[in-house]
Amino acid sequence: MMSSGTSTDSAAFRPWHLFVLAALVAATIAMLVARPSDPVGTVLLMLAVGAASLVGLAAYRAILPLTQKEFVETTVMVGSRSRAAVEREKTLVLRSLKELEFDRAMGKVSDGDFEEMGRRLRVLAIRLMKQLDVDAVDYLWSIWRRLDTVERELTSVSRRVAEREL
Amino acid sequence: MASLGYLTLLAAFVACSYAAAVSVAGARRRSPRLIESGIGAFYLVTALMLLASAIIVHAFVTEDFSIRYIDHYSDSAQPLFYKLTSYWGGLDGSIMFWVTLLAIFGAAAVYSNRERQRELIPYVVAVIAVVQMFFLFLMIVHKNPFATYLLEAPVDGRGLNPLLQNFYMAIHPPSLYIGFVGMTIPFAFGMAALITGHLDDSWLRAVRRWTMMSWLFLTLGLTLGMMWAYEELGWGGYWGWDPVENAALLPWFTATAFLHSVMVQERRSMLRVWNMTLVIMTFFLTIFGTFMTRSGIVQSIHAFGQDMALAWMFTIFMVVLLVASFGLVIYRLPLLRARNELESWVSREAAFLVNNWILLFSAVFVLFATMFPTLSEVVTGARLTVGPPFYTTWMLPIGLILLTLTGVGPLLAWRKSTPSNLRYQFTWPVVLAAATMGGLYAAGFRVWVSGLCFGLCAFVCGTIGQEFVRGAVVRREATGTDIVTAIVGLVARSRRRYGGYIVHVGIVLMFLGFAGSGYKRDAQVLLRPGEATEIGRYTVRYDRLSENSDARKQMITAHMTVLVEGEVVDQLYPARWFFFKHETEPTTEVALRRTVAEDLYVVLAGYEMSDQAASFQLTVNPLVNWIWFGFAVLALGTGIALLPESAFAYAGAAAPQGAATASVVLLAAALTLLGPVAVFAQPLEGALQEANEATPLELDLRRSLVCMCDGPGCGKKLVAECMCVEAVRLRGEIRGLVAEGLTRDEVLRFYIDTHGSQEPLAAPLNEGFNRLAWFFPYALGAVALGALVRWTRVGQEPERATSPAEPGSDTAQLEARLDDELRNLD
Repeated sequence: MMSSGTSTDSAAFRPWHLFVLAALVAATIAMLVARPSDPVGTVLLMLAVGAASLVGLAAYRAILPLTQKEFVETTVMVGSRSRAAVEREKTLVLRSLKELEFDRAMGKVSDGDFEEMGRRLRVLAIRLMKQLDVDAVDYLWSIWRRLDTVERELTSVSRRVAEREL
Repeated sequence: MASLGYLTLLAAFVACSYAAAVSVAGARRRSPRLIESGIGAFYLVTALMLLASAIIVHAFVTEDFSIRYIDHYSDSAQPLFYKLTSYWGGLDGSIMFWVTLLAIFGAAAVYSNRERQRELIPYVVAVIAVVQMFFLFLMIVHKNPFATYLLEAPVDGRGLNPLLQNFYMAIHPPSLYIGFVGMTIPFAFGMAALITGHLDDSWLRAVRRWTMMSWLFLTLGLTLGMMWAYEELGWGGYWGWDPVENAALLPWFTATAFLHSVMVQERRSMLRVWNMTLVIMTFFLTIFGTFMTRSGIVQSIHAFGQDMALAWMFTIFMVVLLVASFGLVIYRLPLLRARNELESWVSREAAFLVNNWILLFSAVFVLFATMFPTLSEVVTGARLTVGPPFYTTWMLPIGLILLTLTGVGPLLAWRKSTPSNLRYQFTWPVVLAAATMGGLYAAGFRVWVSGLCFGLCAFVCGTIGQEFVRGAVVRREATGTDIVTAIVGLVARSRRRYGGYIVHVGIVLMFLGFAGSGYKRDAQVLLRPGEATEIGRYTVRYDRLSENSDARKQMITAHMTVLVEGEVVDQLYPARWFFFKHETEPTTEVALRRTVAEDLYVVLAGYEMSDQAASFQLTVNPLVNWIWFGFAVLALGTGIALLPESAFAYAGAAAPQGAATASVVLLAAALTLLGPVAVFAQPLEGALQEANEATPLELDLRRSLVCMCDGPGCGKKLVAECMCVEAVRLRGEIRGLVAEGLTRDEVLRFYIDTHGSQEPLAAPLNEGFNRLAWFFPYALGAVALGALVRWTRVGQEPERATSPAEPGSDTAQLEARLDDELRNLD
């Protein structure tokens, strides 16, 4: 996610507001110029205008990362993979272990096989837990970094509000 | 608007190129800016395709016939619904619709995985963008849906093919396309995993839901196609092994195999290369199916027509696709090595493996049989027909084996099953199967294939029932709840497993429907007003013929009364419709009396307005509706397997204790009141009576020859099933030849001589080059068996289990934390 997408000022004018406005203006002009008599045609024309505004928004989304002065990468990585991916992987491994336990309870897996398959999954789960623990320091650091950015944004917004009030 | 539409396609192509290039560059240079920009461009393609779609649909609705595509596939009298669905009614629009769906699916997949699969996403974007670029390129240089007339535009359009003006056919292509484009997502993730080398199981988990959803839509598309064929083509059946039907079936086989083998990789770290191969094959077959339908290399009533330029473009793309993807697999082979090997043939993984090989065999066999007429034409210069009898010879036993495996798989233990384990698991399902077959035999049902199928269905149901009951008992003991709550909790906690079992119940119901065809009865009769005929337990009386017309068509309708034991039970109105803009392509409007036990299916085959005489094709199709009902159950099971974790967590937290039991009891009571009355009220005994007066040799010949009229909607149906005038003549001719004393071979030779080739035969004769067709399945089976044995050497040393961790306080703490987390999971 980009920093631009996480502004804390809910009252601020956001890029998508501009595209919604543009779409509304374009739709009005299209209605006046085309004067469609068929209601279905009108609806489709409006949809086309809506799609055109989406095109504008997506184009903006594609260009923004290249033009932003301060681009903040918020995805937290654990080694070469994102933290979210490793956490999900761990959850799924735990779920597999649970299913294996259930299989044993239903008499589908012998104790020996349960031991072998369970050990493999436990090794994997512990490896993932270790990985997440080791990188937790980085993770905390990135949270602090993010909070710092948010704080700076808030300060700047409150300064602007104060200036406006003056 | 046409220029704007074309510009949009051009812009989409540029955005695709940008997304692919920037994403790869961003991944290589580890630049988040470039990666984000690539993702933005990827979303831009989606927005552009939505805009292009809005433009073309607007053009259809506002009747802009200056656009050629609009002129070809719609007219001013067409209802709004068909105007909207005309978007994908032709080749150009269907390609555009394909890209739009792919863009939507791709954007959704990228959006939902952009955090979890950060390292794969740039390459996922690049792969999907390249696929989109290919289809956009086709439109830009060859099949532009926005192409306009250079001179004066026509006042009105030519209208959509009447055969496509059917509800099922309107929604059948979108569901198939969703199934097809959905398979691009697993392929893209697979390729990204190969490129980055992140080949653990996480990419599989990222794509499992997408594969399942695509598989569901593919199944829905196939089922809708069957319903359309059943209700619109008027030949009394639902699956004719038409090349275009087969094109959609091919990826279904490999996707089904993947959904099963993925479990083996997750549980046993085996079949890693195999799973990657299946993902590539599935995607390849979706492209190949599209190529078959659109290039004209196969003859079908559904195909879009011959286009060699398009065929070459597809061929180049497919070659590049195969070389690049399998090249990557070979490059990454060391990382894909299995960590375990098959230890026993009596194990769950062995059952999955056999299931996979059979599904792959089916895919290759169907592909070969579909392409054999084209191959024969290239090699010998003579075109052949490979029709239902050839397919049935092979696919019938394959279907029964797959059904058996559906029941066997869940009963086997992972790694190996002991004799006592086998006894414990198999006793009740086998008893149930034996009792069912014995009961059917005693009741007089003597069609052995159908009887065996019913028995196997009982076996699978026994297996699934046993799984639910034993699972619920274990859960009840663990949680202390009542049995019904335990079952609900069971499904909630293991959605994939129990959703999968419900899918299997759906498959069983579909097989019941297929088995019912063994008791199918049909008859062709010529009747005058007031005359009646009997078929099965029905007496069908022909009352009169009427003629009506509306703005688009003329309708000839027969009025018929259906009686059972002298009581009027229904009125049927089979008809022929002649659309004014397609008068040479009359449509057959089938009249159906549907019940749970059987369908009475009436087709108006021919008529004479002067004396009101009319000929009819009457068919009694036992259990056919179970196929459609089976699909509904299958969809329910897939839906359960697809449900997110939070759905059940919320339901579980919100529902008061005992709510599950009360809900199930109420549901069961409602079903008891509504459901099975009709099932038991209409037994199948009547189906055993012979209703057709033709001799066995005549019936055999009618099923061994295809109709060569080449009329629209006919498409080389079996002479026994085709309703056109030529088929009526052929049936008469066959009767005459048999009456003259000609043997089966002599009659077949007569038709070969008449047409100068074996094209009128439903299956090629086993001689000359055709021996290849008959030899190929055996060779394929032998190779598959050899590969299976070679690949899965039994009894090898299993993976040495690593110790959870070295001794130490950290490890002990982690073990304790793991146990805590496991306890909290349920």
